[in-house]
Amino acid sequence: MSALIEVKNLKKYFSTPDGALHAVDDVSFGIEKTHTLGVVGESGCGKSTLGRTIIHLLDSTSGQILLDGEDITDVKGKKLHRLHERMQIVFQDPYSSLNPRMTIEDIIKEPLKHSGRFSKAELGEKVEALMEQCGIEQRLCLSYPHELDGGRRQRVGIARALALDPDFIVCDEPVSALDVSIQAQILNLLMDLQEQEGLTLMFITHDLSVVRHISNHIAVMYLGQMVEKGPAEALFQKQLHPYTKALLSAVPSIDIHNPSKRIVLKGELTSPINPKPGCRFAKRCLYACDKCKQDQELTELEPDHFVSCCRAAELSE
Amino acid sequence: MAAKDEKLLAVEDLVVEYTSGGSVIHAVNGVSFDLRQGETIGLVGETGAGKTTIAKTIMRILPAEQATVKNGRILLNGENLLEKKEAEMLDVRGKQISMIFQDPMTALNPVMSVGSQIAEVIALHSEVTKKEAEERALEMLRMVGITEERYDEFPFQFSGGMKQRIVIAIALACNPMLLLADEPTTALDVTIQAQVLEMINDLKAKLNTSLVLITHDLGVVAEMCDKVAVVYAGRIVEMGSKEDIFDHPSHPYTKGLFHSLPSFVLGEKRLHVIEGMPPDPSNLPEGCSFHPRCPYVTEACRSGEVPNKELTPSHYCRCRCI
Repeated sequence: MSALIEVKNLKKYFSTPDGALHAVDDVSFGIEKTHTLGVVGESGCGKSTLGRTIIHLLDSTSGQILLDGEDITDVKGKKLHRLHERMQIVFQDPYSSLNPRMTIEDIIKEPLKHSGRFSKAELGEKVEALMEQCGIEQRLCLSYPHELDGGRRQRVGIARALALDPDFIVCDEPVSALDVSIQAQILNLLMDLQEQEGLTLMFITHDLSVVRHISNHIAVMYLGQMVEKGPAEALFQKQLHPYTKALLSAVPSIDIHNPSKRIVLKGELTSPINPKPGCRFAKRCLYACDKCKQDQELTELEPDHFVSCCRAAELSE
Repeated sequence: MAAKDEKLLAVEDLVVEYTSGGSVIHAVNGVSFDLRQGETIGLVGETGAGKTTIAKTIMRILPAEQATVKNGRILLNGENLLEKKEAEMLDVRGKQISMIFQDPMTALNPVMSVGSQIAEVIALHSEVTKKEAEERALEMLRMVGITEERYDEFPFQFSGGMKQRIVIAIALACNPMLLLADEPTTALDVTIQAQVLEMINDLKAKLNTSLVLITHDLGVVAEMCDKVAVVYAGRIVEMGSKEDIFDHPSHPYTKGLFHSLPSFVLGEKRLHVIEGMPPDPSNLPEGCSFHPRCPYVTEACRSGEVPNKELTPSHYCRCRCI
């Protein structure tokens, strides 16, 4: 298997009046074809910025992005248009990501029209097929987004992303705004589409049970850095980074007879503006020591399972 | 006070309707439940099920123009809140019943220091001097884990989790008997949610407050509640102790909710789904509101009132097929 997406030392800084905000700081990883990488972390950890930088909705500050082995970091102009056909995004909020003045049909048709590859007749057929594939009733084609509930709107967002047969889709919290019963429908749809179309997905979420279900690999982010990554099951069986441990233990369990032993973290996220060197989690970490004042490196502690914590090896014993 | 039955709160056959653009929205359709001192009940259900309307009716803060309470009683210590005058309610709100809203960002006054927002409630409800109110406000700040130096700071200087703590401090400042929490942690990250839930539990134990917790997160219910009421289309379709609901979910909707959780079906690739969508509250289906989505539907479900069956003395379910 080869990696469809590869990211090397990617950085994205935003300039603010107080200094550089390190939204994504030196992140490297790869996603194999037809696989799903789940990216988890709390609000402000840079997971959405990472997704948007990879598909060039934001320009990177430094680092490299490779698609199918080809460097796409500095692609511009027409080439960028072609690139966006191969890389798409599904947004979190199906309420604000659809144009309220366009009908469902027009929303799905727009990327097709924009590509200039289809005749009028083909456009109609293609839209019909996409609606069918994403489970949107044909009678809704002339409806407007406000007439649809959240689940159906998200289906429209997915149909739009799928329109130009992309290879790679970033799903940025696609189910967080939906109710549980609807969430399950959308997750099933995404898994079906991935299988049918051979899609590679990057699934950004803060919901750990969702990510376990849908991902092959999981990456955990904290304040712009990747603190742990590994195969989904391995990471759920054994967490190497103290933050991942706390994050998983904080999820309320539905098992009322074996309540999870919650690790309650003290304090809150520190500011990502001009962060000091060293482990960014150290302030809230139960195991912080002097070595944590130095920058940590992502190292392979177990097969395919990486962690950036100097005490991970001793703590995992 | 009603000493003989120790119920703090009793909601009886509550019916609430909204009118909007000529159509009638049946938000709450005959809800009854009760709560003892110190107990926590979880109202679980999806968007639009009527959970928030129930809480707002108890608090008497429904929008007067659109909403009407068609039927029912809400007894707090035996007194019907629905018969109280607005002036009397001013004394109940904040002192006997408090409410925490989902979004801490919009629940606070942006141009008032957080300390004085807490002190305001105290000054309003108890005969204290300004100084005493301030001291009590400081104490509340400490209790929710915020240092006293931050008394004079403004809401924008706090993070989401901290703001929710301040909202909780305001809600608990006058030791209310009943706390209504409407999705108190939904807007927060999991590690912060863990902190806030732990704090609500500690404070509840300390002050012996009863809690109505509205949430759609079954994990939060499992950790916080003694009793659970599952709300669908403005009705409680199943109610019981936490053990009843989690060990023996009986209503097809409750079962469906559990089965659609990714954490419930480890090892299976496809998630179970409840087919279809929640019904439109302005046009509820005849008979059992859940019948169009129910896998066990029978002819009898399509019409008539569904009886509330007692499965055990603590466990009730509104389904014909049990």
